[in-house]
Amino acid sequence: MYGASVDDIKQDGKAEPERLAEFEARIARGEKIEPGDWMPAEYRKQLIRMISQHAHSEIVGMLPEGAWITRAPSLKRKLILLAKVQDEAGHGQYLYHAAETLGATREEMVEMLLTGAAKYSNIFNYPTLNWADIGTIGWLVDGAAIMNQTMLARCSYGPYSRAMVRICMEENFHKKQGQEQVILLSQGTPAQRRMMQDAITRWWWPTLMMFGPHDTDSPNTPTLVKWGIKTRTNDELRQDFVDQLAPDLMALGLTLPDPDLKYNEETGHWEFGSIDWDEFWRVVKGDGPMNAQRMAARRRAHDDGLWVRQALAAYAEKHGSLN
Amino acid sequence: MPDTQWPRFMVFQQMAPGEPLVHNGTVHAPDIEMALLNGRDVFVRRPRAHAMWVTPVECIFAKTAQELADGTWLAGVQDAGGAEEKYHVFGKLHHLGQLDQLGMVEAASAPMAMKRAIEGFGGKPVLVWWVFPAARTLYSDEAEAESLFQFSESHDFKNQAFYPVITMMRQMRAKGKLED
Amino acid sequence: MQKKLNSALAEYLIALGDDELILSHRDSEWCGHAPILEEDIAFANLAVDELGHARTWYELAAALLDEEPARFPDHLAYFRDASEWRCVQWVTLPRGDWAFTLLRRYLFDALEVLRLEGLKSSAHAPLAEAAAKILNEERYHLRHGKAWLLRLGLGTEESHRRMQAALDELWPYAAQLFLPLPGEAALAGAGVVPETGGLEAAWREQVEAELKAANLTPPDDFIPVLRPRSQQTEHLMDLLAEMQMVARANPEARW
Repeated sequence: MYGASVDDIKQDGKAEPERLAEFEARIARGEKIEPGDWMPAEYRKQLIRMISQHAHSEIVGMLPEGAWITRAPSLKRKLILLAKVQDEAGHGQYLYHAAETLGATREEMVEMLLTGAAKYSNIFNYPTLNWADIGTIGWLVDGAAIMNQTMLARCSYGPYSRAMVRICMEENFHKKQGQEQVILLSQGTPAQRRMMQDAITRWWWPTLMMFGPHDTDSPNTPTLVKWGIKTRTNDELRQDFVDQLAPDLMALGLTLPDPDLKYNEETGHWEFGSIDWDEFWRVVKGDGPMNAQRMAARRRAHDDGLWVRQALAAYAEKHGSLN
Repeated sequence: MPDTQWPRFMVFQQMAPGEPLVHNGTVHAPDIEMALLNGRDVFVRRPRAHAMWVTPVECIFAKTAQELADGTWLAGVQDAGGAEEKYHVFGKLHHLGQLDQLGMVEAASAPMAMKRAIEGFGGKPVLVWWVFPAARTLYSDEAEAESLFQFSESHDFKNQAFYPVITMMRQMRAKGKLED
Repeated sequence: MQKKLNSALAEYLIALGDDELILSHRDSEWCGHAPILEEDIAFANLAVDELGHARTWYELAAALLDEEPARFPDHLAYFRDASEWRCVQWVTLPRGDWAFTLLRRYLFDALEVLRLEGLKSSAHAPLAEAAAKILNEERYHLRHGKAWLLRLGLGTEESHRRMQAALDELWPYAAQLFLPLPGEAALAGAGVVPETGGLEAAWREQVEAELKAANLTPPDDFIPVLRPRSQQTEHLMDLLAEMQMVARANPEARW
């Protein structure tokens, strides 16, 4: 059987501290941990938490953009958006698979999402209100996600790392199509420029929040760094993002909704105002603009699909071959 | 009947004729025929495949280099006799890589197949070994390769090079400087 | 004469493109809402393929009408009112449940494969070439559809009941699928396209056998929908209101 359940981790009598030292040495050497290898229970637990959260984010993330597939203003954009939302489903699929190699089942993970026990990225609890949101999500939101994912592609757990390599490769198209949209709209008709500015104003701060709490408020980070799951901190990644995006957006004539944003010649970094963490925690706890609708849409798809899943399971039982 | 996300199947893909297959990931499917279709839909969104195999996850017998390191497991494998069948052998050769197809062995049980795989293909260091029975694997049909894996239109738009954003940004910055 | 044939063929291709685009749109509505993750992905593939086919047919029509191939497809999709569309009513019906969606696709794909086999030997070379490529994809769609037909038809009591209800609802609309397409009369005689009416017998034979294998029976008491393609449904009006809203609010814009 490939992949272990939590109960069948093999015990060969070696003492825990000895195994842990061996495990950490492997990570320090840059080796990948594979299903079947020994790993601390906490490593497994943190990975399942992170990977499933990440998978849920891809799944819920289909909704805000998916709503615009039927309204995309050209056949080319419709095709691109459809393929992009499909990729999100694909990425959710790869990630659930990676978590399944650690002993979690997709049933359990989906159940946790639908009952509200598991979290997903806050960003998808914001509404998409005009077509320019699609370009903005592509460039800013996927851009932010890629920074995180590029880091995770180097993580110590083999199946997660491999999923992330594939995801990063595919996500680059998401970011570039978004950037192209933002450039075109910001230089387009007055109505296009208005919708573009409106989108940037609404999405800028929520995107910065995507990197998570400040390092000082992020209790899991040191362990995750030590075990090679994360290799960079939330604040480092957030700073990189602002340094990359702020000058580009401003070059397009767009205004960022932060009066404190300015370039510091000495540090070579862009300084930005303080993030509204009250809003962040409010949305995490369920009181965002779209939390209820997103969950309702997922639950409806799940409930409406129950008879379909049961029918195919019943058919397989009666007529299945080979399995 | 309880709800189910269906059983899992391993998906292996061959990118071009003559190349070894690589392990791609898993799909959930109610049966092996649907697993092949799901494998195609999940893993060939970017058209690059010549053949695909699927096998139930529970048919994969796996060992990592760490599990084999002290030799006790291998020493304990006994040939109990019985009818032999064909097993596919896959191995992970690089820390950053996937599992690649190594070949085939015949054995009467999965542990024996593993032992023979290690004897037959162990010349290079393998980090993870998989063996699984050929008879429990579904193979895409060569005659259907076109309809399964070829798209009528170019999927270039799924490639980041399709979007000339670097040039566009350079033009914007140059324009901004002129206006200053 | 050639000019007349060209404009007839353009009409024919636009009708085919309309079918594909509207069906693609309906399939794309499932993206994010399918019964299982793998099908979100599968259905997006189908929708991407159909959208590509619509573009192919519209571009071929553009070439025949001396229109700009880069702009004409968008003009057709976004700036025609419902009365100017030539799709069959079949594709405009709301997506319904998963049984309806699957069955509509399967029955339509079975016809598509037959039609494309005819178009593959069209006297108009660009059409024959495009048809051969599209046929590959439609064969896969049909395989996907058949697999589902059997599983839902024979799965549980509920799935069977839903499939039979979908068949009862769809079957009357099938009649319209076999009416001649716009422009067809002149084209079929010149060996450019197959006669649509001539595909019906083969289609019936095939789908009735496969429906039977899935324990499904076409209704025998119904009023066939035999309206011309120029007569559109309210469903199409609603669909277009949504599909065209961004483009029409800003007709000068480039996207």
